[in-house]
This record gives sequence, C-alpha cells and structure tokens, in this order.
Amino acid sequence: MYPIVLLSFFGIVTLFLGFSKSKNILLPATLLFLIIALAGNFLEWNKGPLLYFYDMLRVDNVTLAFNGIILLSAFMIFAISGGFQDNPDSEPAEYFGLMLFSLVGALMMVGFQHLIMLFIGVEILSVAMYVLTGSNKRNLRSNEAALKYFLMGAFATGFMLFGITLLYGATGSFKLEQIQGFASNMQVGSESYILYAGLLLLLIGMLFKVSAAPFHFWTPDVYEGAPTIFTTFMSTVVKTAGFAALFRLLSGSFTGVYGFWWIVIAAIAVLTLLVGNIGATSQNSFKRMLAYSGISHAGYLLIALTALSKPSQNAIIFYSLAYSLSTICAFGVLMLVSKEKTIGGQPNEYYDAFNGLAKQNPLLAFVLTVSMLSLAGIPLTAGFWGKFFIFTSAAERGIIWITVIAVLMSTVGIYYYFRVIISSYLKEGDLVKIRVAPFYKVILVLATFLTILFGLAPGIFEGLI
Amino acid sequence: MNNTYLPSDYLPILVQFFLAAAFIGGTMIVTHMIGPSRKSKLKDDPFECGIESVGDARTPISVKYFLVAILFVLFDVEVIFMYPWAVNFKELGMFGFLEMLLFMALLLSGFYYVIRKGVLNWEE
Repeated sequence: MYPIVLLSFFGIVTLFLGFSKSKNILLPATLLFLIIALAGNFLEWNKGPLLYFYDMLRVDNVTLAFNGIILLSAFMIFAISGGFQDNPDSEPAEYFGLMLFSLVGALMMVGFQHLIMLFIGVEILSVAMYVLTGSNKRNLRSNEAALKYFLMGAFATGFMLFGITLLYGATGSFKLEQIQGFASNMQVGSESYILYAGLLLLLIGMLFKVSAAPFHFWTPDVYEGAPTIFTTFMSTVVKTAGFAALFRLLSGSFTGVYGFWWIVIAAIAVLTLLVGNIGATSQNSFKRMLAYSGISHAGYLLIALTALSKPSQNAIIFYSLAYSLSTICAFGVLMLVSKEKTIGGQPNEYYDAFNGLAKQNPLLAFVLTVSMLSLAGIPLTAGFWGKFFIFTSAAERGIIWITVIAVLMSTVGIYYYFRVIISSYLKEGDLVKIRVAPFYKVILVLATFLTILFGLAPGIFEGLI
Repeated sequence: MNNTYLPSDYLPILVQFFLAAAFIGGTMIVTHMIGPSRKSKLKDDPFECGIESVGDARTPISVKYFLVAILFVLFDVEVIFMYPWAVNFKELGMFGFLEMLLFMALLLSGFYYVIRKGVLNWEE
C-alpha cells in the first residue's frame, strides 16, 4: 500500500520539479523516489495478508513480489532514459510524472481485491501509456501509434467494464471473495450464463492489455511507433501488471468454474504462441520483432495461467522477472545502436543496424547476446528456468499437449533471436565505438548479471513466497 | 425487498425499447412520405442561406480552446463531487472533512500546475 500512496505524491512532486531551473535534478530525484517506493514496498514483507481501502486492496507476499519486479523494471528504465537530455523537444518532468502515475495504476492492478480497483488501476496505467506513446509529437508514426492504441484500448476497456457489470449482475458483488463464493456453489441457470458472459468479456479486456492473440493487432504498430524508452516500459511494466491482475482475478474468483475457462485460456495461449513466434520470423525491424516476441511471451505466461496452481504462480513471478530483465537489456542496446544511423531522420531499428557490433563494442554485443539467449530460453539464463517452471506447472496439471506446442514454438524463437546475434558477431559493418554513459552501462551490466545469476541459481527465490 | 427477478420482469424495458425504435422509424418514414420534396442544387447545399459556401469547414482551430474546454469540464466535474459530500457532511464527520481537504489540495495543485504551465495565458 505504501508505494501506491508514495508514488501518487511523488508524481505530483515530479511535475512541479519540472518548473525548477536546473533540469539535472529531475532524474536523480525520480530515481530516489523509486528507491523509497521499493523500500516502502518491502516494509510489509511477511506481514501476512493485509487489507486496505475498505478491503479493496490486498497486500500479501505475492503482491509485494510483483510490485518489486515492476518497481525494479521501472527503476532500470528510468535510469537508462538518461533524463531525456539528448532530445531538446522532450518534456522530462511530464514523462517521469506520467510514468510514476502509471506505476500507481500498475500496483493497483497487482493488489486489487475489488473489481472497481482493477478497473481504476487499468485506466490509470493505460491513459498514461496512451499519452506517452504519442509523446514524440513531430513523428507521424508515434502519433499513429498513440491514436491506434487509444481507440483500441478504449474499446477493450468498454468490454472490460461490461464484463464487470455482468459479473455484478450475476453475483451481486464486486469483491473477489464473494464472487468466488458465488461461482463455487453456482447452479446451472440464467445467472451462471451471465457470469460466464461477464468473465469472458472481462478476460477480453485484460487479454487485450497483455497483447494476447487475437487481441494483439495493436502491439506491433504501437511498440514500433512509440519512443523506444516507452516501448520498454510498456513491454515490461504493463505486461507484468497485466499478468499479475489476470492471475489474481482467476485464482481469487474463478477457481470454481475452472472447467469453463481453462480451455478458453489454453486456446488463446496456443494462438498467441503461433501468432507471436511465426509473426516474429518475418520481421526486418528489430523493434518490431521484439513486439512480436512480447506477444509470444504473453503466450508462455498464459500457459502458466491455464495451470493455475502454486507452482504456476511462482513460475509467473520468475518468468516476469526474467522477461523484464532481458527486455530492458534488448531495448537498451537497441536505443544506443539505433541512434548511430538514421533512416529518413528516424533511428535505424532494422537488424542491419547491428552489423559488426561486436568488433568495436564487445560489451554491448555481450549484453545483447545474453538477453537474446534468455528470451529464447537457452540454458544457463534466467529465461530457460522461466520456461522450465511454466512447462512443469502445466505438465503437473496434466496439460501435456500445450507444453509440446510451446516447446516447438520456442525452437522457432531461436531463429529470430539468433538473427541479431549473427548480425552483431558475424556480419561486417562500420559501427564505430558507441559512447555509453557510465550509469547506463551499470544498469545493462546489472541486468545481464541478474539474468545469468538466476540462470545459474534459479533456487534463490525458492520458499520466499 | 424482492430479490429474485425473472426475465419477464424486464419486459417493460423491452417494450420501451421497441416503442423508442418505432417512434424514430415511424417519424422518419412519415416525414418522408407526407412532406413535399423539391430538389435543387442550392437546396442540397449543407448550409443554404444565400451566401455561397467557401473553403473547407475543417479549418485548424487554436489548441487553446480545447485546453480551456477540457479544464472547464475537469474542474466542473470535480466540484460536483462536493455536493454529495456537503449533503453527508455530518455523517462523514472529521474523516470526511480531512479527505475532502486532501482532495481539494490535489485539485489545487493541479490548478497551480496549469497556471504555471501558462495554459490560461491567452495572449502568448
């Protein structure tokens, strides 16, 4: 609960810091705010389930773990943004303020215990993201992305709200436990159909936010059009929060009707894996490939949702962390490399921008390689164990066929993840040495180190939650 | 209170829906049938008032209008929150008062932000 209150306050403070003469204070201040929020988050560790705001928000160790991942990713993203110093048109105070506010929404989504809280969280997160997507005002693609994201997101929100309404109509409550109580003892009748319809509509809204197929159409365009730093934020923070919310929703309210929805989620998971992985193979732009890779990772996480057990909960937490670390590395290197050459005034985000990266920038090439290996799920990286835990949780539940499809799809993933490694090590290019700010380097190295550490010793988290 | 509703209890809503649809459809059909219909080039103009229409209606309008309009809506809606609070002031007591103070503080900090940003500065 503390980080929600703190970050709401810090967001306003950040906006006002923008009026100060010195622009250099902004980045250290926001990083400090995030550290305070992280510390506040873990104050409640092991205090057991706590309820706040008239039982609308529940804080337990699972919530805190997700909050920790979200705040850590945000910290890394804020740090590699460099305070937007290189772009004279930018409005750093507004960007940081909006990101802090959107973090509040993300934390509300993680800890919600009441469907209204979920809705408010999703809205706070999304509205800030719509604005940030279009923050590159002079770029047509950024504008297009923002408009697409806004229109489709507003539609998805409508579905979600309608679903919540129907659930209220069927059960007479917004609270997760009461919906759970109703759904477990439900007779087949008109109310059960209303509940099913409400659940499906709510799932549509949530699956849109985590870009699962067939609600993924906005993802490539929006991820590509948005400034890279906000794409990173979208693909880590928003996705983690979305899956935390989905898991809490399904495990907190709908275990009683598992037989109804698990096949829906399983079908969507398979479709998402197919669309994400096969779509990614045909991309020429690295950024667009990462968008499709984001879709495919949503598919893996959905498999953990179909299992819906204690191991799968831990698998989602581990996978979100591994995915966020690798994605931040990949986008971080992309931001540096794409600035070197421009195509028509825009950064070059194609694969060929990475040609010959390893010759002059061995560190960046190494960071990129580790992150690609982790995303592809090669052993000795965190991504491997993430996939391993998810597949075992599905297999324990007895859903073997979905695991087989997922393993097949992750071999497809190797093809497109290795393309950029081949570009940076084997192809000839004229990339000069890229100047990297020390702090930027520290973040990239830290994320890479954590990826390898969790790959070597995945048991670090065992028994914590 | 009666807590069980059968689908038949919602019949009046359905009837009203059909009545509304029938009214719209009916008036549209009837006016087309009984009204005289004379067509000419001038009559089919979007604005027929004797002056020839010039140019495109989609001229760019200064973004300031939108900002002021949005801010008006924002503060208007926020002030509406005070009515239910004022009505329930005695029941909510000190807690409600402090909550409202917090709300007003957030609102005023937003107002201060708007002024500092120069949004209300029309001449600029």
